[in-house]
Amino acid sequence: MFFLSAYDIDTQGLTKSFGDLKAVDGITLQVGKGECYGVLGPNGAGKTTTIKMIHGAVRRDGGRLNVLGMDGTSHSREIRERMGLVPQEDTLDNELTVYDNLWVFANYFGISRRQSRPRIEELLDFVQLRDKWDSQIKTLSGGMKRRLLIARALIHKPQLLVLDEPTTGLDPQARHLVWQRLRELRRQGLTILMTTHYMEEAAQLCDRIGVMDGGRFLVEGAPRDLVRERVGEEVLELRGVEKEEVSGALDGLAIDAEQAGDTLYLYCTNGAPVMERLMAAGKRDFLRRPATLEDLFLRLTGRELRE
Amino acid sequence: MIRRDLIPTHRALRVWVRHLIQYRSFYLAEWAGNFGEHFLYLLAFGYGLGRLVPSLNGLSYAQFIGPGLVVSIAMWTSSYESTFGAYSRMRIQKTYEAMLSAPLSVGDIVLGDLLWCATRALIGSILMMIVLMIFGLIGSFWAVAVLPIIFLEGLMFGSLGLIAAGLAPNFSFFSFHFSVVVMPMFFFAGTFFPLKGLPPWMQAFSEMLPLTHAVRIVRGLIIYGHADSFVWHLSILAGCTIVFMMAACAAVSRRLVD
Repeated sequence: MFFLSAYDIDTQGLTKSFGDLKAVDGITLQVGKGECYGVLGPNGAGKTTTIKMIHGAVRRDGGRLNVLGMDGTSHSREIRERMGLVPQEDTLDNELTVYDNLWVFANYFGISRRQSRPRIEELLDFVQLRDKWDSQIKTLSGGMKRRLLIARALIHKPQLLVLDEPTTGLDPQARHLVWQRLRELRRQGLTILMTTHYMEEAAQLCDRIGVMDGGRFLVEGAPRDLVRERVGEEVLELRGVEKEEVSGALDGLAIDAEQAGDTLYLYCTNGAPVMERLMAAGKRDFLRRPATLEDLFLRLTGRELRE
Repeated sequence: MIRRDLIPTHRALRVWVRHLIQYRSFYLAEWAGNFGEHFLYLLAFGYGLGRLVPSLNGLSYAQFIGPGLVVSIAMWTSSYESTFGAYSRMRIQKTYEAMLSAPLSVGDIVLGDLLWCATRALIGSILMMIVLMIFGLIGSFWAVAVLPIIFLEGLMFGSLGLIAAGLAPNFSFFSFHFSVVVMPMFFFAGTFFPLKGLPPWMQAFSEMLPLTHAVRIVRGLIIYGHADSFVWHLSILAGCTIVFMMAACAAVSRRLVD
């Protein structure tokens, strides 16, 4: 079952259905050693199901799933011994203190209380919770809980860290602290797989991203390259303008136009000539900005609400 | 073929340790409460109600009912822990979810919980036996031999409770478990009155309840230091426990793994 692979996560044709719903529809996902990979996608895209298959909480219907060179089903326990999981939901032990949470979790891995002590101190320093070691979980803020979940996932020095929406619901300060810590872990050579709703997060942290929708990957690549290839360099946003009003003025320029509600989006490689034409046509109320992952995301997955 | 993750391993002890750590924060209050409760039970039933009851085969009512209380306390404690306790860990606190992200399997979690249910049953019963001792109702040194029987009984009711916890859509489901599983055994397993002389259909019903067999062993050991047909009763208890444990694994797995 063991074989050498350049990838810490290696799936091919991975599928999972719940009743009639194809939650994951034959995905191929390969995350290299030491790489940080981000899975983006709207709610219900299949991100969490994919993560649950990787750590064995959901059994796959079909396809290949290799994690850390081992089969995801037959070696689920061995995989979990070497990977850390930061779940989307708070699964901290509410009836235990911060310190007891960590040592009880270390004990799940067979690490003795004495062995775990220095590691726990190191981790509490790392996530800046040292002074909270004796606190009850219910007294912690959302950001502290998330940091504690990260510390808990690292207790056994895993080789692979999987995070499901690590900063959802956090305030900007807490989010930036989590980002710093994740960048530090990346520097230390940890392989990271994360899902997120935040484009900035993916752009800041990930070497590669994949955009998922309807159980499939739509595109995959380095965030910057993807934006350049699929969206362009710059975006001009015009409020209260219909596409037809400017189509004459923009004739002959290589741009993509998209109407969404009251706003017209113009995606282009160079914004300067477009801007000149707009000014000439008397349209002065616009915003010129660099293209972002968010543009890519919305172009790929559409603008209708997902609940 | 049985799935590998349903077979428990020695890692179940790690689950048991987690429960023990959590128990540290409230055990003293619980012991004091239990002790007082057991005391009142014995006074009210054994000596209050007991005055109206004629001698049963040369035993006072308090002597008769004492071992019955030891057995029922184990049943109640284990049933509470495995229904309300386990359901809350499974569905509300997400304790099991966290365990499954560590290298523990469904089988480890189920066995760990059952060991814990049995441990708590044992603690409750020991407190009751201390009360019996204070009243001079323990007839033999061999009464200590009931401890493993109580532990087995705790495993059995823990399994029944985990089956309910696996099937339950919400907390109110457990009133069904208590009225259909726990209460009939509480009343008709020979705890409060001898089965001899009951209508034949009622006797037949009582014989089918696994608790009846626990009551017979425990009563014999506490009063006389030995139990008639010990191996027969023990086999029934052990057989039921094994079957219920396997069902509990299946029921909990249904909830935890998609």
